[in-house]
Amino acid sequence: MTVRKHKSDLVILFSTIGLMALGLIIIYAIGPMRANVLNSTYGSDYDPNYFFLGQLRTVGLSLLAFFAAFKWIPYKYVKKYAKPLMILSLVLSALLWFLALIHNPLAKCELGECRWFQFGPVSFQPAELLKLAMVIYLADFLARKKEEGTIGKWQEFWLPLLIICGASLFLVVIAQGDLGTGVALISIIFSMLLVAGVPAKQYLIMVALVVAVAVGAVATSSHRMERIDAWLTTLSGGESTDSTYHVENAMLAIGTGGLAGVGIGNSVQATGYLPESINDSVFAIMGETFGFLGLFLILVIFATMLIRMLKVAEGTSDTENRLIVVGVFAWTLAQVVVNIMAMTSLIPVTGITLPLLSYGGTSMIFLAYAIGLVLQISCYTSREVTHNEDISSRGRLRGAHHTSRRRSS
Amino acid sequence: MPRSNYQHLATNPSSSPRRRIKILKYVVLASFAIIAVRLFFIQIVEHDYWTARADEEHTMLETISAKRGEVYMMDHDEPVAIVLNQTSYQVVIDPTVTKKDEIKTALETYAKDYIIVDFDEVYNQEGLRYSIVAKNVPRDIIEKLAEQNLSAVYFKKVNQRVYPEGELASGVLGFVNNDGVGQYGVESSLGETISGKDGLLKSTADVNKVALSIGNDNIKIPAVDGKDVVLSIDRGLERKVEQIVQSHIDNTAADHASALVMNPNTGEILVMANLPNYDPANYSKVTDASLFMNQITEVPYEPASVCKSFAFSAAINEGVMSADTTYFNQGYEIVDDWKIQNAEQRASLYGTLDMKTALYWSLNTGSIHALKLLGGNPNQITQQGREKLYDYYHNKFRLDYPTGVELAETEGIIPDPNEGVGRDSTYANMTFGQNLNITMLQTATAYSAVINGGTWRTPTIVKGFYENGEVTPGRIPKYSEKIEDKILSDETSATMRDMFINNRSYKKRGGIDRNGYDIGGKSGTAQVIKNGAYDDSMSETVGTYIGFIAPTGEMPEYVIMVKMLGDGRYLDGGIASNLFDDIENMLIDYLKIKPGVL
Repeated sequence: MTVRKHKSDLVILFSTIGLMALGLIIIYAIGPMRANVLNSTYGSDYDPNYFFLGQLRTVGLSLLAFFAAFKWIPYKYVKKYAKPLMILSLVLSALLWFLALIHNPLAKCELGECRWFQFGPVSFQPAELLKLAMVIYLADFLARKKEEGTIGKWQEFWLPLLIICGASLFLVVIAQGDLGTGVALISIIFSMLLVAGVPAKQYLIMVALVVAVAVGAVATSSHRMERIDAWLTTLSGGESTDSTYHVENAMLAIGTGGLAGVGIGNSVQATGYLPESINDSVFAIMGETFGFLGLFLILVIFATMLIRMLKVAEGTSDTENRLIVVGVFAWTLAQVVVNIMAMTSLIPVTGITLPLLSYGGTSMIFLAYAIGLVLQISCYTSREVTHNEDISSRGRLRGAHHTSRRRSS
Repeated sequence: MPRSNYQHLATNPSSSPRRRIKILKYVVLASFAIIAVRLFFIQIVEHDYWTARADEEHTMLETISAKRGEVYMMDHDEPVAIVLNQTSYQVVIDPTVTKKDEIKTALETYAKDYIIVDFDEVYNQEGLRYSIVAKNVPRDIIEKLAEQNLSAVYFKKVNQRVYPEGELASGVLGFVNNDGVGQYGVESSLGETISGKDGLLKSTADVNKVALSIGNDNIKIPAVDGKDVVLSIDRGLERKVEQIVQSHIDNTAADHASALVMNPNTGEILVMANLPNYDPANYSKVTDASLFMNQITEVPYEPASVCKSFAFSAAINEGVMSADTTYFNQGYEIVDDWKIQNAEQRASLYGTLDMKTALYWSLNTGSIHALKLLGGNPNQITQQGREKLYDYYHNKFRLDYPTGVELAETEGIIPDPNEGVGRDSTYANMTFGQNLNITMLQTATAYSAVINGGTWRTPTIVKGFYENGEVTPGRIPKYSEKIEDKILSDETSATMRDMFINNRSYKKRGGIDRNGYDIGGKSGTAQVIKNGAYDDSMSETVGTYIGFIAPTGEMPEYVIMVKMLGDGRYLDGGIASNLFDDIENMLIDYLKIKPGVL
């Protein structure tokens, strides 16, 4: 069966560009405040427009990456490099770890965590490349295994998977101390495994295993326990401490926003009270600025975009392409949900950016590229395939029938 | 390919991609639903709570300090600064830091004169966190120190008062304490006129407490600066009088003495000297807090025979007595079974005397006779007499009211004419200034009325305000009431002046009072109450003298009052009159008072 190329998913396209524009607006509004806070606190010399111009540059590069993935570079060329890309990512992360251990200035560290390469004015976060590589590599790997029919086999499937994923998680979570990226990676891995058709029993065992490791990792680290403790304190309305400062001020910003927000340029929390106001905490500033209505709209945009990605995945007959879409979906979902839940004290704080909205170079460029891939793939979905599958499943599964009817109406 | 997939799925429907993608869809919907509910809770339900917390965290209240007014005195016709503001700095170090030698060297190089500690001591003291190591450091030196970029060295700005005249008139000026609050003297009594009123800035601030333009309940109440106040006190005269008073303290048994010079026709106070002075710049080093009290306005006492002036003028003004009225002096008087004696017991005075002579010798029997005459019965004290005297002391001379001068004052005590036991003896005593409690200023203000033609005027120590380089007349709002009350007839006043001049005839004969001037006065020697009764041994007495200077044939322009006392010392009106003499003669020279011609 051949699938004719058709128009891409316009909802995802406009959601992506719309979110980027929104991010630009908010950084334009609070960038000068951020510059002022840094200048007066640390004696630095940031121009008021420094952060806006930085974000403008990032959005420009992200759009380049986005359209490169979407229009200019056919995915079939990219997927040839799945394995080398994965190896490159792991090598870069390992190299960063090594450089940090010998205190080489190329490794840029903040608050004791070394997550960036620094080349002059340009910095680069290998973990972002690793997420993209993980999506591309796993899609390729899982599709191959599926074709071979070895999914679920220990030696052919689980062993190489555990090695690749284990190494990635080790480098990200332990070496770089980046729990946020770790959560995103786990989300990517488990979503792709799920859709790839790993037997349910094995899947659940793996989930249990990861949960056990996570609990163990938290329990054995005083730093992580402290975060959990801070989270519980905030949730229960306990006394403020240094640890609860961040999330309390995030909630303060969100809560102050009320229904309609204080308006652009009127955020007080951005004047230094809320840490990471332009990066990880930008959602809270948006809550203060745009209120519940604004945040609800942002949630709707993200949710729509995510659901549309799943629709693309559903409509994609090619296993590898479908897994790519699922991987990008899981990546976006993890970042959105973890970031927002941390800001609203639903989970403990983990440093993670809000896709397309947060200030930050590497993360937006790579995610833009990944969404571009989804859009490229969305040009090759086939209603016929979906329809046929619906027909064939009729009679076996009533539920599927209803679902399909709803979907096609 | 799809076909084989399909086959595979057919056998294991639970792993079909569509079913599994649906699971992911539920994950999306569930997480976003949770988030949306949570946001609704925080932003809508808890909105007021968070807004209140935000206000608490973001609102900054800042006091805008008002500038304190400075104090000027007159010097002849020119205002001169007496109390000025100066900003200086304190150097504070954190002794726990390293680079101690660097700090020590820098301070010893640039601010040696201002160091107030021994560095080794500060460094060796354990647990000491911050220590003031230098004080009163001027700005230019601080700038030099700041250039050294020393870590753990801080500069604290301190606003302080400086006193170019040192201790001059400290009892009048008062001081400003470390909290910036005026204490004693005009620093306290002039209130907000001199201190100004601090403003308030309420604003939304950023995390570094810098005010933001964001927020809609920002309030700015500007500070109202204090006014520069010009006192009526003449600096040169004050200094001269203080020198004279000090020399008399040095040469007599007195350890405290006060002198007051005022214009009886305007109420303006030209000199208010309370010795010993203290250094207002180092007020904290004063161990005897009584030094802070203004002896002239805050400490009531019994001015003794000086008060005969009031009893005599009351009787004369009522038309029941004149300078020539006679009575029989037997040297004492029995009232309420009390024997009241004259201080002067020379035999030549027994017999019939006129009132002029009685005042000259300051005979208590004379002033008691005035009280009898007030009561309409020359043989005994009556209720009418007491009430008349009370009327004069209380309503006319206002001896128990604050005078209304722009300083802290203590009310006097004049006993009620119809209450209590021993009223007659009390009132007999009151005619010669015992059994009552009044301040020097109350006395001098009443005395001014006696000799100025009979008008009681509110005394004042404030000439006006120093604005744009000149003196603008004005009164302090708190003391705006100015009383002018004609209480005695011109004739009474003239009679009293003549008697006061007669009192000093011996001074003129002795060459102390110069020709060409009418100088009158009255002395007083007060017994001090010891253990609830007057000490007849006279082992401790307070000497007072009050008088006036006028060019011969003219109205008096200056009233001078002095008081001398010492713990356990005998100081009488005669000793006080010597101080008066010196001040009076200096005044004529210093103010170049032209002699009158007659």
